[in-house]
Amino acid sequence: MRRALALSLVTTAPPPRPPRTPAQVYRQSLWLLTARDLRVRYATSFLGYVWSVLDPLVMAIIYWFVFTQIVDRTIGEEPYIVFLLAGLLPWMWFNGAVGDATRAFIKDAKLVRSTRIPRTVWVNRIVLSKGIEFVAAIPVIAIFAVVFGAELTLGVLWLPVAILLQAVLTVGLGLIIAPLVVFFRDLERAVKLILRFLFYASPIIYGLSDLPAGLDLWASFNPLAGIISLYRAAFFPDQLDARAVLIAAAMSLAILGLGALVFRRMVRAVLKEV
Amino acid sequence: MAEQLSGVGGADVVIRVSGAGIRFRRNRRGRRSFKDLFAGRNRRSRPGEFWALRGVDVEVRAGEAIGVVGRNGQGKSTLLKLVAGVMLPDEGTVEVHGGVAPLIEITGGFVDDLTVRENLYLTAGLHGMSRAEIDARYDEIIDFAELRDFTGTPYKHLSSGMKVRLAFSVISRLEEPILLVDEVLAVGDKGFRDKCYARIDELLRGGRTLFFVSHNERDLKRFCTRGLYLDGGALVLDAPIGEVLAAYNRDTGGGTAVVD
Repeated sequence: MRRALALSLVTTAPPPRPPRTPAQVYRQSLWLLTARDLRVRYATSFLGYVWSVLDPLVMAIIYWFVFTQIVDRTIGEEPYIVFLLAGLLPWMWFNGAVGDATRAFIKDAKLVRSTRIPRTVWVNRIVLSKGIEFVAAIPVIAIFAVVFGAELTLGVLWLPVAILLQAVLTVGLGLIIAPLVVFFRDLERAVKLILRFLFYASPIIYGLSDLPAGLDLWASFNPLAGIISLYRAAFFPDQLDARAVLIAAAMSLAILGLGALVFRRMVRAVLKEV
Repeated sequence: MAEQLSGVGGADVVIRVSGAGIRFRRNRRGRRSFKDLFAGRNRRSRPGEFWALRGVDVEVRAGEAIGVVGRNGQGKSTLLKLVAGVMLPDEGTVEVHGGVAPLIEITGGFVDDLTVRENLYLTAGLHGMSRAEIDARYDEIIDFAELRDFTGTPYKHLSSGMKVRLAFSVISRLEEPILLVDEVLAVGDKGFRDKCYARIDELLRGGRTLFFVSHNERDLKRFCTRGLYLDGGALVLDAPIGEVLAAYNRDTGGGTAVVD
């Protein structure tokens, strides 16, 4: 009765809005922020897409020049430029996402303080936007493969697995790093340093099989080793290292689990601090 | 306002705050150890921390207009942020049924390098509006913000007044059943403020629930029927707004400053 009275008094009741499932909310906010990141990047730079391709390309050409024209190389496989790109492009995704994860909360502090979207979106949109740039750069490697005569094998079917594993690994690391940096700003620089070390510690300019016997097992505990071997399987089936892939899968899942744990424990404190 | 009072008696509880508490560090640059971070969240207050709010119990029914009163630093904005869901309580619970349109740090979500139009879609989207809903309200929002000629302008080139206008315009059109307002009306010119007030009145008539933080006694009396008086992080009085303002004035010795 009273409810009816209340309704009769209101002039314009709030129009009913379709209820949204948590998954819909998550998807929408993730997509909005990812699209925003990409749009900002392309709105502020004239070359936009070209930059995300140029970066790994220039690096690939430098290493190609050093290791084929100057030094007599015994590492990797032929054509070396394709071998390099197959490692460098995923590395750019990893490097960009982990590097940006250090600023996931800091850069958007005001937005974090004023909206209540699911908090993991702040990390995941970075992995997604860098991942989209990675996928957009894949045609470049295809062009080089054609020009230098690298043969595409059935190993290319591992590509989705590689992308999935890398996404799991990167999200996991992001979930650990992003909240920690809010409290330990030094971590931002530490991460940059570790990434530089990791570049040479991962089989990017070389292959896992180029390592001395014994060392390759230890190197496999770097999940990037297994993941890059999956990517390379598209052109170089010999690079596929089942043991490294299994270790990478286990490590990636473990890191994701740890990341979820760290993130959940810290999110309260992060919201107070940003 | 009286008509709202008569209607709310049997309405559903839309906000239920029970035993809510949140603590902050006293010194921002305080040393923090990893051990701290992994310690349980329900431990007793550690040295260097204080409870900004503790043991707060409030129930708000649909259609109520609530004014939050208290001196600076007594937990008003923190309470609002807990209701908005942008902070999480360290103890107790905050339940909110239905969507929230938070006028808190409203210009925070905008991106300098994107245009007014892009920013509008981004912010409204992050607050839960679908693309179709935004499309339907786009003209209304732009006209209310008086930014018709600036839809393609990068946000950073707007004046600060325009920024606030855009923000208020977007958030107040979210069509959410609960509206949270934190002091934002102090900014903007008189003409636009009057428009904002008219808009809030309209929303209240439409049955929205209002949570209003202000130091301005006139605004509080104008919009609110019920008052919450916070002091030292605790809720000391929950009563009709007139009583709450009287108690607050008694405690602080004299009338509050009216900003106009």
